[in-house]
Amino acid sequence: MSRISRRDFLKLYAALVASTAFSGASRLVSSADFRDVRKPNILIFVFDAMSARHLSLYGYARNTTPNLQKFAERASVYHSHYSAGNFTTTGTASMLTGLNPWTHRAFTYRGMIDRTLADRNLFHLLGNEYTRVAFTQNLWADILLSQFEMDLDFHLPCDVYSQDKFSLFQPDDMLGDRAIAYYVFQDFLNLRTLEPHPFPGSLLLGSAELSKALTSNGDNISVNYPRGLPTVYDFSYENAAVFEGLGRLIHSSMFQSSPYLGYFHVWSPHGPYNARKDFIGIFPDNPKLHGKSRHPLAASNYSETRLQDYRREYDEFIADVDAEFGRLISDLEETGVLENSYVIVTSDHGELFERGELGHASALMYAPVTHIPLLISAPGQRARSDFHSLTSNLDLLPTLLQIAGKEIPSWIEGRLLPGFGGADDASRSIFPMIAKDNAAFRPIEHATFAMIKGAYELFFFTGYPNHQDAFELYNLQEDPDELHDLFRKDINTASRMKDELLEAVNTANRDYPKK
Amino acid sequence: MLRRFPKSQAVLQVYAVIAVMLSGWTITAFLWKLSTWLLTLNMGEILTVFSYAMFINLVESLIVLLLLLIVCFLLPAHILRDNFVVRGTILSMGFIGSLMAFLGLYRQFGMESSVRLLIAPLALLLFTAILLVFSSKLRFVHSAVLWISDRLIVFLFILMPLYILLFTYVIFRNIV
Repeated sequence: MSRISRRDFLKLYAALVASTAFSGASRLVSSADFRDVRKPNILIFVFDAMSARHLSLYGYARNTTPNLQKFAERASVYHSHYSAGNFTTTGTASMLTGLNPWTHRAFTYRGMIDRTLADRNLFHLLGNEYTRVAFTQNLWADILLSQFEMDLDFHLPCDVYSQDKFSLFQPDDMLGDRAIAYYVFQDFLNLRTLEPHPFPGSLLLGSAELSKALTSNGDNISVNYPRGLPTVYDFSYENAAVFEGLGRLIHSSMFQSSPYLGYFHVWSPHGPYNARKDFIGIFPDNPKLHGKSRHPLAASNYSETRLQDYRREYDEFIADVDAEFGRLISDLEETGVLENSYVIVTSDHGELFERGELGHASALMYAPVTHIPLLISAPGQRARSDFHSLTSNLDLLPTLLQIAGKEIPSWIEGRLLPGFGGADDASRSIFPMIAKDNAAFRPIEHATFAMIKGAYELFFFTGYPNHQDAFELYNLQEDPDELHDLFRKDINTASRMKDELLEAVNTANRDYPKK
Repeated sequence: MLRRFPKSQAVLQVYAVIAVMLSGWTITAFLWKLSTWLLTLNMGEILTVFSYAMFINLVESLIVLLLLLIVCFLLPAHILRDNFVVRGTILSMGFIGSLMAFLGLYRQFGMESSVRLLIAPLALLLFTAILLVFSSKLRFVHSAVLWISDRLIVFLFILMPLYILLFTYVIFRNIV
């Protein structure tokens, strides 16, 4: 019989506490007086690194998302929805705060929102009128949730639905200091076997974890997962277990605690793209793609053939998670959960398989890595609505506040989405960016800024050695693959957009003077 | 029963070796990580990370010392207790050194060859065993080990107040 570890005990204890509360006990009863049960529940599903460019829902050649397409038949579908960043921290922070990255300052790797702005978040603004439940498998997104800890009623551990845990300590072990716990354990004391040249701060913990890794079944290869289990840096999991767990959580918690806000941020289809065996080989043919030469700022140099292989594996993994999501939605529909719930499906950023680059979080901000899905299904909605105007993931927060009947604070930089009170605005500009090597407390001088306006997308690369202050301009409608740089051809558009972008950057840096 | 344990001065000398080696590793790793934290964390947060790290470091050093004392308690006095400073120091250095080699090789070569990761640590442990056997016979080994443990004790004057300060800070953060 296997022993119960201290962590398992803590988790079991947390689960018992949660289920006691959810089963109608003290906190919910005492708060029932001021809860307005007529308000809709809100369920947000965030799929990490899911690019809209790879979803058949948006016209991708491979049938990756039949279940999302079915779900879309009862939802508002946003076709030009962009993340404010190209990796988790920036994208998630902007989605949850309604702020541009240069305002919330969470743009470095494993970054945090400006501490003075930490109460500007979805959970705080919806208030304790809602029961606010948050879960993410992504440790960097969990740092942000930990910053919002005071505004959450339940914050589940990242590995609660996982199988094999690599690290002996996780942030949720330090309940009193959870926001900083990631940096203490995951980022410092623990051994991260998936990182190149890790340097664990603790000799004993690091050695124990290395011994554990050496004696374990490395990639967790099994009959069902011939490529290994899907893996986050600190644990492995199965999509089925995660979605079944979420289904149980929603069922056990929502009915006793309306109105209810659930934020569920799953790791899939983030790499490694380890799909279940049923999905491996379902896309034998390669889509016809334009070859793109390596970009000088690409972090890697994969050949087109390798990128095709990875693209196929990514698509298979999307199909895998789509199937699990389909099962969950059917279950929620059968049990009546959807009758009084808004369901939002989106992502924090996309994924890139071109110009020598694989993945995300590099200096490249091409559309596949910022163009993300957004679907919003209203309670009882039976028909599909399509919106093609430009939207940003900053817009989700004000829209949810509108749905919940809350006031929208003036500091929010996002807008109401079309279909929820927002209007089409052809003159709108949005500014995705990455500045992972730029200190959060300094002016942004080492970054890639994108500016999307109408049909055009302008890139501004600044602070990179040998690629200083370079611009690229593309017409996303006529050239969705971003093959033809128009910066020196369409002088008028380039000049106009360049001026606007530089003005926005200068304004963003105004409060951060150079030393 | 207390007679089965070495004298407190000897324990302190061996503890100095353990604490210096473990904290040396942690502080080196901390400095290695510092540049990335400076992008993200403010000074207060970085100091908090350091406090937790040193808190864990204190616990680890006490665990290693405790293990040594348990061995001392269980074995006949002439094996370890009677020559605790020299043999305790050799054992601590051998054990901690082999862990450093284990992780150091992993940092360099990754998990491609687990045999390669184990060769150096095992060699170091073997060398430790040889030193233990000959420590009483080889005069220069005996005096060198004594010299090391004697010199390292000075670091306890820095480490102990630091441990106490940071321990208090961590406890304070988790209670208040």
